Amino acid sequence: MTTSFSQPDKRNPAGSGGSNRDAFLSRVAESLGRPRRTDPVQRPAWKHTVHLDTLADRTTEQLVEVLKEQCTFIHTQVIESTPALLQRTLDDLIAGFGGGPVIRSGDPRFAEYGLNFPGGSVWSPDASREDNVRRAEAANVALVFADYALAESGTVVLESRPDQGRALHFLPAHYIGVIQRDRIVPRSTQAAAALNRRHEAGEALGSCINLISGPSNSADIEMQLVVGVHGPLRATYVLI
Amino acid sequence: MSLKTDNRAFGVRTEDGIGDAFMRGAVGSAQDSLKTRRLTAATTLGDWERWRELGQQIRQHTLENLDYYLGQMADNVERRGGQVFFARTKEEASGYIRQVIENKNARKVVKSKSMVTEEIEMNHVLAEAGCEIIETDLGEYILQEDDWDPPSHIVAPALHKNRNQIRDVFADKLSYQGDETPEHLARFARKVLREKFLEAEIGITGCNFAVANLGAVNLVTNEGNGDLVAALPKTQIAVMGMERIVPTMEEMEVLDNLLCRSAVGQKLTSYITVMGPRAEGEVDGPEEFHLVIVDNGRSDILAGEFREALQCIRCGACLNVCPVYRHIGGHAYGSIYPGPIGAVITPLLGGYDDYKELPYASSLCGACTDVCPVKIPLHEQLILHRQNIVSQGRTGAADRIQMKAAGKFLSSPGLFGSTLRLAYSMTKLMSRHGRIVRGPGPIEGWIGIRDMPQPVKKRDGFRAWYENRERPDGAAAETEVADRTARTAGDLKTTEVGPKPGRDVSVEEASSRIGRGGDNA
Repeated sequence: MTTSFSQPDKRNPAGSGGSNRDAFLSRVAESLGRPRRTDPVQRPAWKHTVHLDTLADRTTEQLVEVLKEQCTFIHTQVIESTPALLQRTLDDLIAGFGGGPVIRSGDPRFAEYGLNFPGGSVWSPDASREDNVRRAEAANVALVFADYALAESGTVVLESRPDQGRALHFLPAHYIGVIQRDRIVPRSTQAAAALNRRHEAGEALGSCINLISGPSNSADIEMQLVVGVHGPLRATYVLI
Repeated sequence: MSLKTDNRAFGVRTEDGIGDAFMRGAVGSAQDSLKTRRLTAATTLGDWERWRELGQQIRQHTLENLDYYLGQMADNVERRGGQVFFARTKEEASGYIRQVIENKNARKVVKSKSMVTEEIEMNHVLAEAGCEIIETDLGEYILQEDDWDPPSHIVAPALHKNRNQIRDVFADKLSYQGDETPEHLARFARKVLREKFLEAEIGITGCNFAVANLGAVNLVTNEGNGDLVAALPKTQIAVMGMERIVPTMEEMEVLDNLLCRSAVGQKLTSYITVMGPRAEGEVDGPEEFHLVIVDNGRSDILAGEFREALQCIRCGACLNVCPVYRHIGGHAYGSIYPGPIGAVITPLLGGYDDYKELPYASSLCGACTDVCPVKIPLHEQLILHRQNIVSQGRTGAADRIQMKAAGKFLSSPGLFGSTLRLAYSMTKLMSRHGRIVRGPGPIEGWIGIRDMPQPVKKRDGFRAWYENRERPDGAAAETEVADRTARTAGDLKTTEVGPKPGRDVSVEEASSRIGRGGDNA
């Protein structure tokens, strides 16, 4: 242990903002052969726009096809439904997964589409952390609405909110994401840019942004793909 | 685990690897599958070269302004209610983490995969402090249960183990009673680890990229364990190598795309998460969040001729194409960072005293450089290491004498020519059926694993054939002159008789071509 760390503050061992921050950053600047840089650095003009160009010219209908095709590669079922049929589609899916318990986010779109899941529970800031986690752990099915969907990678993008916790996406065995067609963008580029724009405009983003592409999986044993590891065993998207 | 995974000599480690038939089979098939997937993913995306150039530019811009971006990151993490610790050394880093845990009187720690925590020997320090640390990445968990067997690949750490070995580990250590089917083994681990997640007090994650303007940590995973580590325990500690940072989510997005495609051939992995301390009003996520930024030798790398090595995004693509890694496996490198990138950065982090052999564990074919998504000139850096090792006098006396002799010999046309003339008769006793079958030290080493054709008689050699070849028209002298002129003019069209030199041709391939030439003559 070095001297800079020999007298840690018991409550906050980093001290106020990390007492060794200046020495550390000065050394980095020295390694770069110049004085410390503290004035805002402007990002350069990137030399290529490949990320912006990929799939940029596709219509929504074409993007839906891209999304559907990609989902065949990531073990994710895509079901096309309509607002009118959504309740029925979801009920059928849940029944197919062996029924509840169901837990959903508190997203206002559930009410907008008149969705009801008798006996199901809702991730809620009114309940304790332990209670929410316990219900998510016990749930067979999680239901959420995507903020964005990425066609190229078959991804749903969701932000954490008081009524939509982090563990909601990971603890239940089955994961159902509802995607509204107008939320489909070509790829991760557009979602990252939109989120960054909102952040730079001063909007507070959720503390956790999830890009979820299908169920959890691993190839750690002999490179053989196993679908369903720590997170959900299956993922399904419902397009409306 | 520390940077160093094996105290035995390099030669012993490689012998071990080469003798392990299962491991070599597993590495070979993993390489074949991963490199095909990478190639397919890159081709599907299109414009791959531009993507690489973009990735390189982003990494270089960030490194050039690293002090600024790290400062911005720290400000933003603190603004969000997190705490930041800058650790100059591995002792400072693991000491801080230990202190945080002791301050909370916590014991139960769940962890997602992180190479830098291995580098700072964190598990060892925390175990000493009486913590129960659980690796939750499936591969890492298997290694932990097998008495902390070292990882052999930066993306697939348990690549060297087969399903039967894994079943035996689970049966011995965890009373597993099922069969060796990967799915059953994984389900069993899911069940055991789910309990650990739920009861953990501390979650420790690595950091694929820190997002400076957001003060958030980006994790790229497939299993979902990293997200549970960041959702369930009330305290999260994220540990990052100081170079792993991007300005905004826009650059993160480009690098995540390069990372996923290069590492496993996926467009995006199942879970890409941008996380920070729990926000006001939210239910889960860490109430206390610490970010530990680790230097541990990186600022020295930043200052020197190996700066580009810090562009690395740890995708492992260079391991998956390396012919040397294929044969000796990950453990032979004796470092948590194996393969070409390991041979570049391990000597930088651990010193030449322990790792001067690693830069020689390469055929210099350059396949690593060609696949690197952020364009690190890996094989050129290996040559740079070799130059340093030689100029610091770290090679053995025998090597030095041999190289001196070779230098004299190859730079003297007279000596070279007369040796060629005598080569056939000099090697007559050592050869049979046109191949050398015995010889002194270095030759013995070569012919132990491959053919060495006997040099041919001068009149059968290429030069003699070239002089006497039939020509469509004109005299031999004219062609001779034309060739020389062409060479001076830099136009090699008329003299191109073989493969172009350079990294289009691997050393192995080139030597096999030379071998064929000898046979035919």
